[in-house]
Amino acid sequence: MLKAAYRIAWKDVAGDFRRRATLSSMLFFAISVLVVFQAAFEPDRKEALRLLPGLLWATTLFTTLVGLGRVFQAEEEDGAFEGLLLASVPRGVIFFGKWLGNLLLTLLVELMILPLTMVLFNVDVWRQTGEILGILVLGTVGLTGLGTLLAAMTQGARSRETLLALLLLPLTAPLLIAGVQAMAGILTGGEVTPWIRLLVIFDVIYLALTPWAFGWLVEE
Amino acid sequence: MKFLARMQAPLGVLTLIALAVGLWMVWTAPADFQQGGAVRILYLHVPSAKMSLFCYIFLTIVSIIHLWKRSETADILAEAATAVGISFTGITLASGAIWGKPMWGTWWAWDARLTSMLVLLILYKGLMVLRHSMDDPAKGARATAILAIVGAVDLPIIHYSVVWWRTLHQPPSLTMAEKSAVHISGPLLPPLLAMSVAFILLGVYMLTLKARQIEAQRKLDALEAARLHHE
Amino acid sequence: MPPETAARPADVVCLTGVHHRFGRQQVLKGIDLTVRRGECVVLYGSNGSGKSTLLALLSTRYALRQGSYLLDGLDTTRHGDEARDRLVFVGHHTHLYGHLTPVENLRFFADLRTLSPSEARLREAVAEVGLARVADKPSRWFSAGMRKRLALARMLLANPSLLLLDEPYSALDAQGVAWLNAMLIRFQENGGAVVMASHDPERVAALRHLPHHLDRGILTPAPPPPRIEEPPSC
Repeated sequence: MLKAAYRIAWKDVAGDFRRRATLSSMLFFAISVLVVFQAAFEPDRKEALRLLPGLLWATTLFTTLVGLGRVFQAEEEDGAFEGLLLASVPRGVIFFGKWLGNLLLTLLVELMILPLTMVLFNVDVWRQTGEILGILVLGTVGLTGLGTLLAAMTQGARSRETLLALLLLPLTAPLLIAGVQAMAGILTGGEVTPWIRLLVIFDVIYLALTPWAFGWLVEE
Repeated sequence: MKFLARMQAPLGVLTLIALAVGLWMVWTAPADFQQGGAVRILYLHVPSAKMSLFCYIFLTIVSIIHLWKRSETADILAEAATAVGISFTGITLASGAIWGKPMWGTWWAWDARLTSMLVLLILYKGLMVLRHSMDDPAKGARATAILAIVGAVDLPIIHYSVVWWRTLHQPPSLTMAEKSAVHISGPLLPPLLAMSVAFILLGVYMLTLKARQIEAQRKLDALEAARLHHE
Repeated sequence: MPPETAARPADVVCLTGVHHRFGRQQVLKGIDLTVRRGECVVLYGSNGSGKSTLLALLSTRYALRQGSYLLDGLDTTRHGDEARDRLVFVGHHTHLYGHLTPVENLRFFADLRTLSPSEARLREAVAEVGLARVADKPSRWFSAGMRKRLALARMLLANPSLLLLDEPYSALDAQGVAWLNAMLIRFQENGGAVVMASHDPERVAALRHLPHHLDRGILTPAPPPPRIEEPPSC
C-alpha cells in the first residue's frame, strides 16, 4: 500500500523533472519575492539578520502556494484524478502520495532558497544552516500537508489560486508564528523548544487529519 | 425546515423585546469608574464575540452531520451559520476597534483575542467563497463542510500560538487593559447578561431567516434546472 | 439482506434496489441488475437517462446510498478497495498521464492495484493493443484512438471480473471497432463480465449481449432501439 503512495509521489516528481515545470517556476518565483523584499525594505547587514526568519518564511509560504496550485494539475488532464480514485488502495494512501510528492518538490526549492537568501541579503549564518533547515523542514511538513488537502478541495473551483491563498494563509498562521520564532531563537539565542513543540503538534494533527478529510472529500 | 418557518414570527417578536430590554439596561447602567461611558460598547462587543464563536461551533456540528448523513438541511444550516457568523465577527472587530481607540489609544492591537477574531473573519469569508466558486453544489457543500472542520481544529491552535507569541512580546499594560475588558463585575453584569440573551435570540432569528431564504433559493434553482432539462 | 440477493459465484454483479439522486433530482429509481460471468450487458438510453451514473455506481466511484451492490459476492460498501481491484473502468476519459510513456502509464496503473507485472508483460500488453512502436514515447501527443487503446490495455493487464465501458466505440475507426469487439469476445469467453453504455447498436451487434434500456432512471431489459440517424463515421 505504501508502495502505491511512493509511486504516486514518484510519478509527480518525475513528471516535474521531465517538464521542468513546477520546480523551476517555484524557484524563480522565490527569487522574485526576495528581490521584492530587498527593494521594499533595503535592509543593512544587521537588519537583514533580524529579518532573515521572516524573509525565509514569507518566501517559503508564497512559493508553496505556487507549487500547490499545480499539485493536482497533472490529475486534471484526461480525468486522471478519477482514475486515481479507482485504485484499489484506501483514499488516505492516495492523499499521502500526493502530499509526499509536493513535500519533496517544496523541500528541494527550500534547499535552494536558503543559500540564495543568505547570499542576496549578505547575512552570514552558514554555521546554523543545519538548524535553520531543520525548522524549515518541520514547518514544511504541516504546510504541504494542509496545503495538499486545500489544493484537493479547490479542484475545479473558479479562480482557484486566489482561493487557495485565501484559505491557506490564515490556517497556517501558527506555522508562520512558530517557524519565525524558532528560527529567530536560533539566530539570537532565544527560546526555541516551545516553538518546535508547536510545529510538531501542528504537523502531527494535520498528518492525522488530512488523509481522513481527503477520503470524505472525494467520496461522492 | 417547517419547524423553522413556524418559529420565525414568535422568535422575531421575542428578539425585538429582548433587544429593547437589553439596550434599555445598557443605557441606564452606571458608567465604569475606569472606562467611563466607553464601557457601554462592551455590551455589544462581548455578546457578539461570543456569538461569532457559537456560530462556528454550530457550523462545525452541522458540517459533521452533513458529511455523515448527507443531509441537505444540515448543509443549508451550515451555509446560513456562515453568513450569520461573519456578520457577528465583523461587528465584534468593528466594536473592538471603536472601544480600543479611547481605551488603548489605538484602533488595533495584535493581541491574541483580536488576532484570532481576524483569522476567524477570513475563515468565514473563505468558507463562503469556496462554496460559491464550485460549479457542482454538492461538491461545494462537501468541500465547505470539510474546511469548516479543519478550521475548527485549527482555531484553537491559532489562538494559543498567538497567545504564546504575544505574551513574549507584549508590554504588560495592554494585557491589563485586555483583562479589564473581560472581567466585568458587579452592577455591570445584569445588562451584559440581558444583552447576551438578546444576541443569542438575534443569532437564532437571523439563522432562521437566512436558512429559509437559502432553502427557497435552492428550490428555485432546482425548478429552473428542471425546466431547462425538459426543454 | 434477503436470501435471494445472496450472490452465487456465477454472479459478477448483483445490484438490488439502487436509487440515486443528485440534490433534489432523482437520477436512478430502483435499479435491479444481475450480470453473470461471460455476459455482456449493454445499456441504451438517451442523454441524461442515468447511464453514466449507473456506471459510476458500478465502478464504486459513487457511494451507494440506497440498495445493495455485490461484486463477486463482495459487499462493495464495506470492501470498496477489494471491489475496485476486481474491475476496470474505461470511460470518456482515459486517465492517462501525458508525461509518462505507455509502459510507464501501465506500470503506474498496476502499482495502484495488487498487480506486479514484469516489464515483459507490460510491453506485451502495449503490443497487444498495437502500440509497440510508441511504447517508450510520452503519451501526450497520442491521438484519441491511441489513448483509447492504451486505456483498454489495462483490461488485458488486470484481467478483471468486471469491465465497465462508457461509449467504448467513440474515437475508434472501423478497424478499431473490429479489434475491440474481438478483444471483448475473448474477454467474455474467459468468463469476464461487461457492462457497457452505448448509442451504437450496430457496432455492438458483433457481441453476444443482453440489451437493456434505461429511461429516466428505470432499467428494463429491451431490444436495442432502432437507428434514427447515422452518426458521422470516424
